[in-house]
Amino acid sequence: MPSIKKRGASPQWKNVPASLKPLASSVIEAQLPNGLKIRLLPNDAVPTISYYTFFKVGSRNERPGITGISHLFEHMMFNGAKKYGPGQFDRMLESNGGSSNAYTSTDLTVYYEDCMAEALELVIDLEADRMKSLQVTPKMLESERQVVIEERRLRVDNDTLGLMDEELGSTLWKAHPYRWPVIGWMSDIEAITREDCLQYFHTYYAPNNATVFISGDFEPEKTLQLLKKYYGGIKAGPAVPGVIDAEPEQRGERRAQVWHPAQAPSLMVAYRGPKASHPDTLTLDVLQYALAVGQGSRLTKALVFEQEAAVSVSVDWSWRVDPGAFTIHMELKPGADPQKCEEALYRELDKVVKEGLESREVEKACNNLQAQLLRELATNNGRAHALGHYEMMLGTWQEGLALANRYPLITCDDLQKAAAKYLSAHQRSVVTLMPREEAS
Amino acid sequence: MKKVTAKGELRPLKVPQASRWVLSNGLKVHVVRRPQLPLVAVRLLTRAGSAIDPVNQRGLADFTAGLLRRGAAGKPADVINESVEFVGGSLSGWAGEDALGVAVQGPAAHVESLLTVMGEVVMLPDFPEGEIALAKRRTLAQIANDLDDPGSLADRALNRALWGNHAYGHETVGAAADIKKFSRGDLVRFHRQSMGPQVSDLIIVGDVQPDEMYRLVEVAFGEWKGGPAMPPELPATPALERAGEVILVDKPEQTQVQVRIGAKGVSRGHPDAFPISVMSVALGGGFTSRLVSEIRVKRGLSYGAGCHFDSLAAGGAFSVSSFTKTESCSELLTVALEQVALMRQKGPTPREVKAVQRYVSGLYPARLETNESLASAIADIQLYRLPEDWVEKYRERLCAVTAKQAAAAAKKHLFSNERVVVLVGPAAKLEKKVARFGRVSVIKPNELE
Repeated sequence: MPSIKKRGASPQWKNVPASLKPLASSVIEAQLPNGLKIRLLPNDAVPTISYYTFFKVGSRNERPGITGISHLFEHMMFNGAKKYGPGQFDRMLESNGGSSNAYTSTDLTVYYEDCMAEALELVIDLEADRMKSLQVTPKMLESERQVVIEERRLRVDNDTLGLMDEELGSTLWKAHPYRWPVIGWMSDIEAITREDCLQYFHTYYAPNNATVFISGDFEPEKTLQLLKKYYGGIKAGPAVPGVIDAEPEQRGERRAQVWHPAQAPSLMVAYRGPKASHPDTLTLDVLQYALAVGQGSRLTKALVFEQEAAVSVSVDWSWRVDPGAFTIHMELKPGADPQKCEEALYRELDKVVKEGLESREVEKACNNLQAQLLRELATNNGRAHALGHYEMMLGTWQEGLALANRYPLITCDDLQKAAAKYLSAHQRSVVTLMPREEAS
Repeated sequence: MKKVTAKGELRPLKVPQASRWVLSNGLKVHVVRRPQLPLVAVRLLTRAGSAIDPVNQRGLADFTAGLLRRGAAGKPADVINESVEFVGGSLSGWAGEDALGVAVQGPAAHVESLLTVMGEVVMLPDFPEGEIALAKRRTLAQIANDLDDPGSLADRALNRALWGNHAYGHETVGAAADIKKFSRGDLVRFHRQSMGPQVSDLIIVGDVQPDEMYRLVEVAFGEWKGGPAMPPELPATPALERAGEVILVDKPEQTQVQVRIGAKGVSRGHPDAFPISVMSVALGGGFTSRLVSEIRVKRGLSYGAGCHFDSLAAGGAFSVSSFTKTESCSELLTVALEQVALMRQKGPTPREVKAVQRYVSGLYPARLETNESLASAIADIQLYRLPEDWVEKYRERLCAVTAKQAAAAAKKHLFSNERVVVLVGPAAKLEKKVARFGRVSVIKPNELE
C-alpha cells in the first residue's frame, strides 16, 4: 500500500491542553493519491461510529441564476448512484443500524452517518459509490426540487426569522455570494437544470475537495484498507475554482424593514466581521459569550432582566471562510417600540467600546468557551464534526483543539480594541421586523 | 463486499452501574461515574409537572421552575447566575407534564459549588416580587411570539384537541389568562405543597467519585423537608372528545399548511410498548419509513413527515405531523390516513420489522453518550417506574418483537376513525376542500394563547 500517506498526528498538537492530548495523539491522518484526506479518531467507549464527509463547497461557490444549487445538490446526493440506486442509500443504511443526514452552509456541504460499528464497511461503500457515480435523473431532480421548495416555504417564506435573515444577508453584502440565502431564491430553485447539477458535481465533488472524519469503535489499519479499496479508484478532479471576494468597503449604516403578519416587532443588528482564520475571530468568540451566553451575560442581564428592552437576546458569530458577520438578534415584546429597543442595545455596546469589559466577565466567557469545547467532544458525532469543522475553518484540527489554551490569553484590552474595530455604526446593517395585521 | 447482515450479536453496552442510596429525608440519589471528560451533569426530578397545575393556574409548575433560580437563600439572581456561570456551568428549571426538573451541568472540578447552588434553589427559593412581575411580562410576550410560528400553533391546537379538559390538556408553559393572575403566594404554596424530597430523584453523571458525592449531597440536600409523601395520582385520560373533527387555525397569508392528525395512544410503560415502537418507526420513524417514502420521496409533497407515540404517566397520544403547500393539503391528508389504515390492517412486513430493529438498536448506544442523556434516561426510569434494567435490555427487548406482535399492536393501538385533524393555513382556501375529512371548525390563532 505505498500510496497511502499515513502519518501520526503532527507535532502541532503541542499547543493542545493536557486534557485533550489523549484525543489529539489518537488521531491518524492519511491521504489517498486522488487527494482524499482522511482523519481517523478511534475510540471504543460506545459500539458506534460517526462518519463525516466535508466538501469545501457551499453557497459562496454559486452565482446568480443557480443560487441554492449547493443545497439542492445535497438533497440529490441521497437519490441514487450506480451501485445503490434511488432510495437504496437510506434503506441499506437504516436496515443495517445507521442513519444519515447532511447540511449545507455558506462555505461547506457536510454529510454524516451515525451507525453501529459493524456497518462501517457499508457506509464507506455507500459514500464512495455516490462520490464516484452519482446519478441525477430528471425524475428524481423534479421530485427533490419540490421537496426543497417546501423546505424553503417552511424555513423562509412562512417563518419571520427566516424572512429577516434573508433580508439581512442581502443588506450586509453587496458583491459577495454571502448575499443570497443558502437555500437559494425561489425562482432559481425552480430553474436549476440537470446540466447545472452535473457540472456542479464534477467541479466540487471530487475526492481532492473532500475530507473524511471517522470517530468511534473501529480498527484504524483495517479501515484505511477499506477506504483505499472503495475510494481508491475515484479520479481526482480539477482544482476547485476560487471565489473572488469583491465586497466593497461599507461606508455607512444600512437599514431594511420587513413588514409581515406578526405579534411583535423584532430586530437583527449585524456588524461586518473578519474571516474565521483571522486572529480577531477568537476575540469575537469571547465577546459573543460575554455578551449573550447565560442569564448573567452583559446583554441578557441588561436588556432582558434590567431594562426589559427584549424578551431574549442572542449573538450569532458563525465562523466563515470569507469575512462574516457578528449578528445580534433581539426578540421584542408585542407593542414594543423597535427604535427605543435598538437605542438601548447601542447604549450597551457603546459601554463595551468605551469602558471595555470587566476582567471577571472575560474570564467567565473563557471558562464557558472551554466547557463548550469539551461538551462538543463528548460524543462520536461531536468529535468528528468538531475536528472537521476546525480543519475546514482554521486550516487544521489541531488549531481547534488548541483553542482551549488560546482563549485565556485574550485580554480585556484585546476585547475593547476588537469591540471598537467591529462594533461601529458605519459597519452595521439593521433589519427590523414590522408587525402588521394579517390580511383576511 | 462482505454484506453486513441483520444477524449477529449485539455488542454489550458499557454503561457503568449507578451507585444508589436514599437520604434520611427520602430523596433518592443515583450517581454514575464517567471519567472520560472532566464534566458533570446533575438533574433533579420532582413529581410536580404541569399535570398538577391547580385549576385556573395553568402554567404554575413551569413558571415556578423558572423562578427558582431568580433568588434563593437570600441571594439575588445575579449572585446565583455568577456562581454557576462563572465556572462555565449552566442551570435550568422547567416543567414537563409529569415532573418538574432542575438541571446543572459544568466542569466536574466545581461539582461542590454547583450542588450547593442547586440545593439552595430547590429548597430555599425566595420568589422576589420584582422577579415574578418581570417573569410574567416575559412569559406573556413569549407566548404571544410563539403564536407566529405555524408549527407551534398546530401543536397547541392538537394538544388541546387530544386531551380536552384533562390535566394534560394545556401546554406546560400555561395560558396567558392564568399567568396574568399568578401571585407570589401561589408560587410559595406550589413549592411547599408539591415539591419535596420524598417525591424526588437526584441524578449525578460525570467525572465524580460516588463516595464524595455521598458527602456533598448530604450537605446540599440533607435539610430538605416537607412536600408530599406520595407522587400525585392523575385521573385516566378521557376518550377523544373531538373525534372525526377538523380544527382549522386560520392564517390567511400562509403559503404552506401545517398538518397534524391526532389520536389516543398508550401510557408510558405499557406492556405493548416495544411492539408499538417497532410498528410506529416502520410507519413514520426513520427516513425509510412509509410516511416519508409516500409523502416526501414518492410524491415530493413535503420536506418532512412522521408519526410518534407520546407516552405519559396517565395516558398517551399518537400523532402524525407534516406540512405541504396549500394546494396539496387534501392529497397529503389522504396519503397519510391511507398509510395509517394500511399499517393498522396488515402491520409491518417481517422485513420492515427486522430493518427497524437493526436501525433502532444500532443507534441506541449513541443515545446515552453524553452525561446529560444518561441522566435523563435514569430519570425516566424512576419517573415512569420502568424496569431497572431498562437501558441494558432495551435493544434485546426491541429485537425480540415478532412481526405478529407488531401487527397486533398496530391493529390494537392505531386509530380507525377516532382521530382529529388539525390544520394551520388559509381557511378561505382550505375549508371546503377538507370538509370530507370531518366537520370543520375554524379558529383564530389568538384563541390558542
